[in-house]
Amino acid sequence: MTHERMVAPTELKDLYLPVMAEIKEAKKMTELETLYTVELPDGAELGHGPGQFVELSIFGVGEAPFSISSSPTRRGVFELGIRRVGMLTEVLGKMEAGQKVGIRGPFGSGVDIEKFKGKDVMIVAGGIGLVPMRSMINYVIDNRSDFGRLVICYGSRSDKELLFTDELEQWTKDANIEYHVTVDQGSPEWTGKTGVITTLIPGLDLDLENTVCCVCGPPIMYRFVLLALRSRGLPEKNIYMSLERRMKCGVGKCGHCQINSSYVCQDGPVYHYPDIKGLQEAL
Amino acid sequence: MVQFFLENDRVTEFVAHLMNQKPVYAPHRKGQKSFAFALTVDAAEVVLDYTRTMHSVKKFFLPPREELLSFDLTENSYQAGEAKPADAVFFGVHSYDLAAVKRLDYNFTQGNPEKNYLARRQGALFVGVSFKPDKYHFSGSVGVRTLDTEGCDLFLTKLLDGYVLEVVTPAGEKLVDGIDLPVHEAGKPAAEHFQQHIYVPQARLGDVMAKSYDSPVWDETAEKCVGCGTCNLVCPTCYCFNVEESVDVTATKGNRERHWDGCMLRDFSEVAGGEVFRENLSARQRHRVYRKFKYISDETGEPWCVGCGRCTASCTADISIVSIVNRLIGDYERAVVAPV
Repeated sequence: MTHERMVAPTELKDLYLPVMAEIKEAKKMTELETLYTVELPDGAELGHGPGQFVELSIFGVGEAPFSISSSPTRRGVFELGIRRVGMLTEVLGKMEAGQKVGIRGPFGSGVDIEKFKGKDVMIVAGGIGLVPMRSMINYVIDNRSDFGRLVICYGSRSDKELLFTDELEQWTKDANIEYHVTVDQGSPEWTGKTGVITTLIPGLDLDLENTVCCVCGPPIMYRFVLLALRSRGLPEKNIYMSLERRMKCGVGKCGHCQINSSYVCQDGPVYHYPDIKGLQEAL
Repeated sequence: MVQFFLENDRVTEFVAHLMNQKPVYAPHRKGQKSFAFALTVDAAEVVLDYTRTMHSVKKFFLPPREELLSFDLTENSYQAGEAKPADAVFFGVHSYDLAAVKRLDYNFTQGNPEKNYLARRQGALFVGVSFKPDKYHFSGSVGVRTLDTEGCDLFLTKLLDGYVLEVVTPAGEKLVDGIDLPVHEAGKPAAEHFQQHIYVPQARLGDVMAKSYDSPVWDETAEKCVGCGTCNLVCPTCYCFNVEESVDVTATKGNRERHWDGCMLRDFSEVAGGEVFRENLSARQRHRVYRKFKYISDETGEPWCVGCGRCTASCTADISIVSIVNRLIGDYERAVVAPV
């Protein structure tokens, strides 16, 4: 029996084979998070867009999805901001510059940049959600004239867990960036705002029709941010969300990342909110 | 196409004739009531009169464990695993299992076509056989009857004293070359009746499923379900998998393998940090049933369940997918079609 869609397998690419990429730098950001700079063989470009992810593997340990933290405008290498939370990231944490890891990807739909051009861009990032959002933020910064205002709302559990602190400082100083930050619980030295991320939203002065917002954070955060954005008057059609699921294969086959009928590794991880509004398993 | 008559006494000879051409995988007896597809070594051991095999022929195209790559830890290098073409005859396959192969073909050619599966599917020829439905079969309700020849190269229809051997494709015609069989002039018997049914066709099941998301059936089913994942493992259209590494005793070499996984298992949707996105068994049952009757079906218009009855026959908690679906239909009819 030959199926009508059958393709000669010799013409197909290997979906599951990684390329060996070199860790150029491993920079500790916090107690748990490290920023890895990775280079593909011969300095090849990864060719990703903001919001996409790769599968990183270490032989004998395993493979897992990680969002790409660098903007495609920063060429030659790419960055992964990784939290030490399981066996793979534990082993990765002990690796040094010069060592090699397996990389597959980039995968996923990422942010549809064209829909953001000419608009005010608002980013709502909770905790490690800043890692994928940083790709978009730096993309906007590097193509500043293509976009309107850049409004960043960042929430973290504590000031000790703030990521990319050098960049946060630059964003604070940059007159072209409206950067707001709050922590759930500040240390005695913390002089900034205290409170959950949603407390940043009501006070924002937004051109509602012309603002597109991208949200990324822990699962619990989405519902509350959504409520805050809607009560602030932001139209649903202007909301995008980057969702985390178990994207094991990255190519729409293994089934682990499904939200109802949607494969996050194919249709997401960045979704247009109206597209997932009807998916009960999404938020 | 032409039909021959294959006497009961000549089945072994016919299997041997096929074995002279290609390896033959066929149902063999395992224990008293179990059957399994296995490589035929002795043609006389092939069983054509069987209820259902434990696993479908899926296991030859999507093996329970498959090496994706093997690695050398000292060199941090790897070699790609090899997916070899089946290049074999699959003998004595029931129509619902062929319907399942057709569905897997769809899943593995959609989106990113998968080399491993498609490589293994190369050169696979199928000889179907009719079956007598037992209390678990219900493929008639999902559009697969006992005498359907779709996907077959040859098809055997059981008569009292033998089989009608029907040539379905030119590849099938080549398989019967060189064996002298009498032409069968008379017709074929009528298709067998099923003992159980799903009460509405997929065209209406789409509506039923769309209205059943919050049905109490999921919770009720979850009360019995132990989340063992057997239903996933025996399903001929389940194709989800996980990927894991193993290292040999020298701790220098190992491989990355994929193996069958199941959405009924708790850790299926677990991410780093411990979040499980389908924590409740009710949500997992719904996902399983929706994967068979809604999600892919909304796209293709066809049920993704082929009615083999394996999930129900193998369930350790006596959960029946037919009962679940019929209960959803009943509730839907009462609430939507004839509200009280």
